[in-house]
Amino acid sequence: MAARTEHDERTDTSASPPPARRRVRHPVATAVSVFGELLITAGLVLALFVVYSLWWTNVLADREADRQGDTVRSKWADGPGALDTKDGIGFLHAPAMKNGEVLVKKGTDPKNLNNGIAGYYTDPVESALPWDDEGNFTLAAHRDGHGAKFHNIHKLKNGDPVVFETKDTWYVYKVYKTLPETSKFNVDVIQPVPEESGVKKPGRYITLTTCTPVYTSKYRYIVWGELERTEKVDKDRTKPVELLG
Amino acid sequence: MYGWIWRHLPGNAWVRSIIALALILAVVYALFQYVFPWAEPLLPFGDVTVDGASAGGAGAGQ
Repeated sequence: MAARTEHDERTDTSASPPPARRRVRHPVATAVSVFGELLITAGLVLALFVVYSLWWTNVLADREADRQGDTVRSKWADGPGALDTKDGIGFLHAPAMKNGEVLVKKGTDPKNLNNGIAGYYTDPVESALPWDDEGNFTLAAHRDGHGAKFHNIHKLKNGDPVVFETKDTWYVYKVYKTLPETSKFNVDVIQPVPEESGVKKPGRYITLTTCTPVYTSKYRYIVWGELERTEKVDKDRTKPVELLG
Repeated sequence: MYGWIWRHLPGNAWVRSIIALALILAVVYALFQYVFPWAEPLLPFGDVTVDGASAGGAGAGQ
């Protein structure tokens, strides 16, 4: 404080009274100081935005996904029975992704996906549903933030099981092709017969899409699987072997 | 700017610290609750769908 006062006295030659002296600052100095503080503030806000994106949205989304998942589970509690798709069509299990079960609902609207769920496409190419005789069951979910349900999509390798659970059936798919990077405009990957994955004939496929590289949305990461078998859900909802161990 | 706020807070250093902390928390709350949710769809970090139609749209796959 003493040094500051001396400095002020040296630069400030006018004989202003002591109380006012502290406020007498060159306008440029004030402008620079305010500008600097604004920059620091902007940096802090950006840092907070990262915290928000990568942590807080996950907290909110996981909470909401658990709630919605519980709603579906409690409706299914009376044992297997007629298909019930009102609050979500079922749960996706991909053991390699280590993300538990992911509730799947209709539509890939961000509002929906932000609840920590996966959505099946209605646009630009309408998804088939697992119980359809043939077609491509196409899903999207977040890679980071908002539950980050497909964060570990790169852990899925050829041959890994992807199991979709509905009220009455386990649909067991096997991954047969992954595409680590493609344009976000590449809608061919979600066609009913996704020829880009090397298949030519209609079948029962599943396609997972999310963004890549992690933390950005520059490209899309695609994983294709084909239905291997189905298994009826029993009274105890015994999991298929792919999900055990 | 921050110096100005500090000088205009009432009370002694302790009271000012508590008020300043409350102000910071209020700002962080407003950011997390209102500003970031508003800003996020405008930024290209959360698009996960393939979509031929929208040219770089945040609302991909509506």
